[in-house]
Amino acid sequence: MKKVEAIIQPFKLEEVKEALKNIGIDGMTVTEVRGHGRQKGHKEIYRGQEYMVDLLPKVKIELVIADPRLNEVVHTLTSAARTGKIGDGKIFVYDVADAVRIRNDDRGESAL
Amino acid sequence: MTIVENPPSNSAAFVKAETDRLQREFESSGDAATFHSGRSSLIDLAVQHRYKEHLEPAFASGLALLAVGGYGRQELFPHSDVDLLLLVAATPEGSRKEAVARFLQSLWDAGFRLSQSVHNVAECCEMHGGNIELNASLLDQRFLIGDQRLQQDLSTRFPKFLHSQRTSLARQLCKLAHERHAKFHDTIYHLEPNLKEAPGGLRDLHLLGWLNHLFDATASGWQRELSESRAFVAALRTFLHLRSGRDNNLVSFDVQEEAPAQSYLRCNSPAGFMREYFRNARAIHRAAVRAMESVEEKGNSLLAGFRDWRSRLSNADFTVSRDRILFKSPHHLEADPNLPLRLGEFIARHKVSLHAEAERRIQQHLPAIRDHLEHPRSIWPLVRAMLNQPNAAAGLRALHDSGILGALFPEWDSIYCYVIRDFHHRYTVDEHTLIAIESLEELARTKDPSHRRFAGLLSEIEDLSILRLALLFHDVSKGEESERHCLESATMADQAAARISIPPHERQMLRSLIERHLDLSSAMTSRDLEDPATARWLADRVGTVEVLKNLTLLTYADIGAVHPSALSPWRLDQLWRVYVVSHQELTRELVTDKIAEGSASKGPAEVQAFLKGFPTRYLRIHTEEEIRAHFDLEKARQQYGVALEIRKQEAVYHLTVLAKDRHYLFASVAGALAGFGMNIVKAEAFANQQGTILDTFAFTDPKRTLELNPTELDRLRQTIERVLLGRIDVKALLKNRPKPSPPTRSSRIQGRINFDTEASDAATLVEVVAEDRPGLLYDLASAFSEAGCSIEVVLVDTEAHKAMDVFYVTAHGRKLTADLQARLRGELQQVVVQ
Repeated sequence: MKKVEAIIQPFKLEEVKEALKNIGIDGMTVTEVRGHGRQKGHKEIYRGQEYMVDLLPKVKIELVIADPRLNEVVHTLTSAARTGKIGDGKIFVYDVADAVRIRNDDRGESAL
Repeated sequence: MTIVENPPSNSAAFVKAETDRLQREFESSGDAATFHSGRSSLIDLAVQHRYKEHLEPAFASGLALLAVGGYGRQELFPHSDVDLLLLVAATPEGSRKEAVARFLQSLWDAGFRLSQSVHNVAECCEMHGGNIELNASLLDQRFLIGDQRLQQDLSTRFPKFLHSQRTSLARQLCKLAHERHAKFHDTIYHLEPNLKEAPGGLRDLHLLGWLNHLFDATASGWQRELSESRAFVAALRTFLHLRSGRDNNLVSFDVQEEAPAQSYLRCNSPAGFMREYFRNARAIHRAAVRAMESVEEKGNSLLAGFRDWRSRLSNADFTVSRDRILFKSPHHLEADPNLPLRLGEFIARHKVSLHAEAERRIQQHLPAIRDHLEHPRSIWPLVRAMLNQPNAAAGLRALHDSGILGALFPEWDSIYCYVIRDFHHRYTVDEHTLIAIESLEELARTKDPSHRRFAGLLSEIEDLSILRLALLFHDVSKGEESERHCLESATMADQAAARISIPPHERQMLRSLIERHLDLSSAMTSRDLEDPATARWLADRVGTVEVLKNLTLLTYADIGAVHPSALSPWRLDQLWRVYVVSHQELTRELVTDKIAEGSASKGPAEVQAFLKGFPTRYLRIHTEEEIRAHFDLEKARQQYGVALEIRKQEAVYHLTVLAKDRHYLFASVAGALAGFGMNIVKAEAFANQQGTILDTFAFTDPKRTLELNPTELDRLRQTIERVLLGRIDVKALLKNRPKPSPPTRSSRIQGRINFDTEASDAATLVEVVAEDRPGLLYDLASAFSEAGCSIEVVLVDTEAHKAMDVFYVTAHGRKLTADLQARLRGELQQVVVQ
């Protein structure tokens, strides 16, 4: 099993959720986060005063999937979240040792 | 009911059979009290039987069993804990200890969930600061079996202990209740309420019982008043326990769906059931709050003194007694139907609560109040006065609770206690709305830096009545379960606004705010804020900076009232970005988006020619009627060289000037107004393609010169005309004006000047934020003119002591050079720091 963690632009969330749903992925955890990578933030001027906006609002999506679905899921995420501009985000993939469904103690992929 | 006296040996089966029978009886009758007493009696027998079996052989004396807590009250719900006190003469040791263990185990084995404690009489008669629940549980003690002398000892000493400690004990019980209420944000209106712990729940009934026990008269009469509510709560909790097979007290959405099928809950729909729930919870909560206030005042001379001092707030209509309002002449409710609205304003001003007697009087006259308010009336000044008070939400809440708000705005009836099935929301729609209005009041007091920027916007809005009214109506169509709730809420608000005679321009603002109340939150999550198209979309939707500020605050309040942590730093940042992006676009487009021929209106060609070249903002901020009036002025200008009009709207004067563009023109008018001691609060200057200047100024008359000397208005008009025609030197007018006293250091505003050459292709944007003072606008405009700059567009806004001015300027038809900017900055800096 793999855990896929995607940091994306907030306005792409609905599109990404819809794309994942279309390939049969319904379960995910979504968190509102702030941060920056190469995008680094920007200066904002309001009423003559400069503000440095260094941590930009993003959305983090986490999902755990069976190994064979990894490429398909990553491809779906990149296609749906891409605008081609700096700040589109990143995807991280981790190995998952086990999964347990708390309700009935299902284990492994059957718990997903 | 009949209980078999000698339980058979397989007691668990016996208990189950009897419980099943009690359950069947409850399901057919809905009589929870019979179920509870039956279950208590069943357990009494089981406890007494096992006492004889396990404890009597080991304890000839020195042990008594007492039912305490809910068991003591004989209020045992199907899955409540069985609270049992083992009253001992001495701590059991050896074989006695083993006997106690066997006794308790046998009860567990019989299926009872025991919550036992072992104490001697002395321990029962002392305060348990860290476990005040123990003291409270003993208030409901009931002797079951055992050493009667021990029990008599407790019966003698416990009342004495209570008498000496009752004030302290009552205060601690109230403190616990306040903490419990705070966990539920002090409101009963939760979408999925906790029947036991939430305000208005079973714990509040317990509290009333305990306080009544401690002070006989504390809540006299509450038992009779609340008997119906008590029966409802008891039946509902019994149903919850039986339905879930455990001690579950959450009135979940699923429970709300199933409740109408239970005939004893007497409702025919989930919405009807929840209204019944809230009606009962409110009665219980009010009684509990009043009892707590009564206790907290006992022996607290400072609090009582403060409440007595507040009685000075009394006026011709109302008496304030112990922080509660009474009508001076309740019969006036019949003769003076606007009295309830003045009541709302009084509460909104002073934040005092209604006395029960005043509530009763209102209920008595509610039909007459409804009859009066349902017809169109010019009562907007009264409603506005309430909405502009610092505690407007308190006033609205009091009117809501007493039914007056529903009489004033019957549109509100559809969201009364209305539950929406939305997992993000925590409160009913009416409560969400009132919390939203409260959140703006909290914002005004906030010290949190991430919220302060929004507090800045709030301070820039002089009249909050339309914003608060928009919040009051923003979700009002949710009760209709409409797909287009923004539009329909706006329509319902507009109907109400027409009924109470809100002027057209304010109705327009109200409608705009409600129609667009989801635009900014939608942009936060579904639009790329870096994309210029988003900024253009937002500016187009919002229209003006004034609407943007109001809409931003409405969005802030709306999100914050969804649930306590909804306004996360993430959302605050996103909302602020949306505001800044929109603000920048609205400022930029002043010079970039001009009215083209044929795009302005359907009016005649000569009107279209007049409008050509004005910023598109002009069309957004002026009604067709105003545009026609401007065009009439333009015709006068063509005849006389200049044309102007001054009209008064409430406390503000509005000056419109039309003239051919020339150097110093804007500065001259600003100077003429300052020369008469007028305070300019807003100003705009636009030019059309033909070089005609249309300047509008909104100004106040702080010394009431125009009001007290009617001829001065004509003199002002003539002076401005002569200034425009170059026949008077403005400097001479200003020479003898007294200098205003400077603001205190703490309230002084840091002046800022910013040049932006990117905002427009043709002009340089200069933004000035400064401490406002008479003549400031004249000095700023003069500085531009003296530096050889032409002012193309001006947008001036003033709130409290802060002036926020936007100028688009050119020099010789081009943007300002770097050298000129540096020179101008120096000049402006001198003006700003004066």
